[in-house]
Amino acid sequence: MVSSAAASEEPVKAAKVLMVGAGGIGCELLKTLALSGFRDIHLIDLDTIEVSNLNRQFLFRQCHVGQSKAHVARDAVLKFRPNINISSYHANVKDAQFNVEFFKQFNVVLNGLDNLDARRHVNRLCLAAEVPLVESGTTGFLGQVTVHVKGKTECYECQPKPVPKSYPVCTITSTPSKFVHCIVWAKDLLFAKLFGNKNQDNDLNTHSSENGTSKSNVFERNTDEDLDQYARRIYDHVFGYNIESALENEETWKNRRRPNPVYIRDALHEEDSRQNGSSHDCSNKQVEPSAMVSLGLRNPQEICNLADNSRVFLEALKLFFEKREKEIGNLIFDKDDQLAVEFVTAAANIRASSFGIPLHSIFEAKGVAGNIVHAVATTNAIIAGLIVIEAIKVLQGDYKKYRMTYCLEHPSRKMLLMPVEPFEPNKSCYVCSETPLLLEVNTKTTKLREVIDKIIKSKLGMNLPLVMIGHTLVFEDGEGLEEDEAANYALNLEKVLAELPAPVINGTKLTVEDFQQELSCSINIKHREEFDEENEPDGMVLSGWSAPVEKQGASNGDNQSVASSSGAHDTDGNLEDISTKPVMKRKLDEILESKENFDASSNAQVVDDDDDDDIVMLDEDPNLSKKKRLQ
Amino acid sequence: MAAAAAAAAEAKTKYDRQLRIWGDQGQAALENASICLLTCGPTGSEALKNLVLGGIGSVTVVDGSKVELSDLGNNFLLDVGCLGQSRAKSICLFLKELNDAVKAKFIEESPVSLIDTNPSFFSQFTVVVATQLPEGSLLKLDGICRKANIVLVAARSYGLTGLVRVNLKEHNVIESKPDHFLDDLRLHNPWAELKEFAKSIDINDKDPVVHKHTPYIVMLDLIRNHMLNFDEENYKEAVESSYKVSVTPGISDEICQIIDDSSAKVNSSSSDFWVLVVALKEFIANEGNGELPLEGTIPDMTSLTEYYVSLQKIYQAKAEFDCLAMEHHVKDILKRIGRDPDSISRTFIKAFCKNARKLRVCRYRSMEEFSSPVLSEVQKYFTHEDYWSVSFTLHLLINLFSFLHWKFLRSYTLTGASLVANSMCPLQM
Repeated sequence: MVSSAAASEEPVKAAKVLMVGAGGIGCELLKTLALSGFRDIHLIDLDTIEVSNLNRQFLFRQCHVGQSKAHVARDAVLKFRPNINISSYHANVKDAQFNVEFFKQFNVVLNGLDNLDARRHVNRLCLAAEVPLVESGTTGFLGQVTVHVKGKTECYECQPKPVPKSYPVCTITSTPSKFVHCIVWAKDLLFAKLFGNKNQDNDLNTHSSENGTSKSNVFERNTDEDLDQYARRIYDHVFGYNIESALENEETWKNRRRPNPVYIRDALHEEDSRQNGSSHDCSNKQVEPSAMVSLGLRNPQEICNLADNSRVFLEALKLFFEKREKEIGNLIFDKDDQLAVEFVTAAANIRASSFGIPLHSIFEAKGVAGNIVHAVATTNAIIAGLIVIEAIKVLQGDYKKYRMTYCLEHPSRKMLLMPVEPFEPNKSCYVCSETPLLLEVNTKTTKLREVIDKIIKSKLGMNLPLVMIGHTLVFEDGEGLEEDEAANYALNLEKVLAELPAPVINGTKLTVEDFQQELSCSINIKHREEFDEENEPDGMVLSGWSAPVEKQGASNGDNQSVASSSGAHDTDGNLEDISTKPVMKRKLDEILESKENFDASSNAQVVDDDDDDDIVMLDEDPNLSKKKRLQ
Repeated sequence: MAAAAAAAAEAKTKYDRQLRIWGDQGQAALENASICLLTCGPTGSEALKNLVLGGIGSVTVVDGSKVELSDLGNNFLLDVGCLGQSRAKSICLFLKELNDAVKAKFIEESPVSLIDTNPSFFSQFTVVVATQLPEGSLLKLDGICRKANIVLVAARSYGLTGLVRVNLKEHNVIESKPDHFLDDLRLHNPWAELKEFAKSIDINDKDPVVHKHTPYIVMLDLIRNHMLNFDEENYKEAVESSYKVSVTPGISDEICQIIDDSSAKVNSSSSDFWVLVVALKEFIANEGNGELPLEGTIPDMTSLTEYYVSLQKIYQAKAEFDCLAMEHHVKDILKRIGRDPDSISRTFIKAFCKNARKLRVCRYRSMEEFSSPVLSEVQKYFTHEDYWSVSFTLHLLINLFSFLHWKFLRSYTLTGASLVANSMCPLQM
């Protein structure tokens, strides 16, 4: 063992490494790299420091809140390792400056990320630059480290990655049956409608707008409208009027419990609908406006009744207009935004009460709304250590010794870490192999724009795609286009496939590229007239890629969905789920004496960090279990 | 007042991500714990960092050495400015910076001599973490800690390898937090109020809304005959949950063992845990009618809100009744053994009742008994390639955390090689 430490010294000293992410894993990793003798470390992170980071991101202090994670982490480590080089970038790893050339200068890339999108992006750049990638994640006491080396092991995308659970639109808009449905409604629809980008599509008001009267601007505050009056009007509209309109549709309620419309006068009846003095008496001291604080509701674990939730709702709405008016129109729900969490919790609870669903405390609601992944320093430290071990093996070129390591409680063997041999690349992976994809689509009615949005960007995860048909370039994205080119592409976007300058019909082969990711893949087109609206809501079907797997089973055919979680660009702690790892299950089965034992205790879990959150579900997908072990 | 509330809110935000793992009680246990660290080398520093970040109550560092050049670059809690100063003192200063809610004290003395000269020193701590201690001193310390029933965590690392041992005489767990545990619906032995409520619901009510929203608890025994059509969620739930009726009626073997344990005969020096076990025994024999106190919680289910709430109330009322009965037994017992009848808090009794099915008692062998087999096992692990990876210090802390929030601590023997903790850095030994 001692000798292996000595043997690793030279490659470690000479190595130039790139770390992506300076959060939970990142802090530990930077420390361990520095203490392990690494001398040239580059570090990218776009986040700034939050109070909720301080229980584990030990390079940061209270006084650093709001500053760049990358820069502060660099300075903190240079204090105890002053003679090494650490370059920090407060930037998004998807920025153009971090292109393939940039990646090529490194001997190994180490990921401590918190979202699928960035992970996929880094995976592609590493493949293109032929730089080995060590990927990681933690959640709570669970964690994982995997190694991805082009041509030797599977790439990060060889396995399907679960996407956040999504719910059918109508469950969210009309027939919620669980608290999470109310949260999704409050966060993705109501909050977005009131405080977010007004131009975004929003299903919130589908019912009332059908009713003829021009309700399009019902959510706008009239210029001379009293704020209190406005808040009450919104309340009555979404919890009263909208429910009444929904009730008119008898068909919906034939087999369901009918919701009760809630109006503010009922919710706050008798209790003098007092003007909770709020913003006046407390405002002087409060740094961050909080409706709960204004109303004296101090215990986040307490479940408030309908009246209190109604007060919080009105108060939070008013506080947004009084204290944060400038942000209105640009707000995106953020679980670290106290007022936003209060508003969403209150709205979800009022809706829940209307639909006979049990109410929840703000602590619980925040967990649901923010998809918060719990996190502790210990797991991150373990994972960071494992990343360094794998990085050293990579630097030594010792690929037979690479391991994927899972940190979990192994009940029968009393092990806490489980090393698993990595697998060969998936031969039909569209990212790391050249296998073409197949797209079934109605070429006579589908516009190029739809293919780009629904398939190339959202499913294939390309940033700045380029589309070629034979040798004809029909679309290109990005800066630096000539004006006439850009105009031409804009025209093409609105054309149906069969009418493009180079017509796309049955049997046509599309070439799709992303220059930044240096990813190119072929899509064979199969013309098809009919699509099932329920099961194929995109109006097209892509095969040959590993479809994402929803992390919870239960989906009821209705695929028209509202994404439940704050998608890809999460900052701290959003649960984003990665790979279903059939592999791991299989391997675990081999290791475990008793499968039941395993199922009973670790129930298919997860892995990622707080800031770096991923989940590995162990539900086996039979299609994927035929995998070859390396060697 | 307001300042205190603000500080509490601040702490909630700071610890949010971990509160979601171990809850308020876990955090309180952590904040009430005092840790003694012997030798603050790289391994000890890693351990301290993780504990201090989490908000451990207090830390006492015992280390007699001064900071030398060889400490720099392998211990992230030290920098050039500390050269020549007391290592324990330097580390404590940094710990304060890491989390100023944590009290950090230091004692500039060699741990080996402290163990020899002042064994009673250790009785003030909740947990003693001993790193890089010679085997002889460690065995001595183990004896001291076992006598006082203090948790001892011993860690040693050698370059890429290392070893952690956790030891204490007896560990009693109330909130063992098993991963999977069935709700105690008590359907195998329903009490009067529950039976009455079930009777009050007309399962033949053909109103589809009512029918679709009859709680499955009520229906479990009436299931299939009454199903109107097969997609009724509540009926599905009932069928899926039907195993809950028959699972472990009565008292599990594990709990029986605890009740029959030789420690369940209390005297004035018995711990609160065992006083409660005796109260439990009396409860079962009397009010409990052969059953444990009811937890009083029911799972989510498809139901009309009114039904659900009524059902919830019935379960809660029964749980409160049981808890009250337990309280009486506790007071009687305390009186009998000559203690203040109010010396065990109601909250504690309540937590005990709620977790009565999940109680655990763990006993460990002393390190002396255990030490030789471990060493040979270590040899085995170290030569087996698949075991290379266990990282002690840190895993140990997983255990420690779990421990502090009363989670059932299995007696892991952690072995393997550790880079993670401290190592890769120049060898320390």
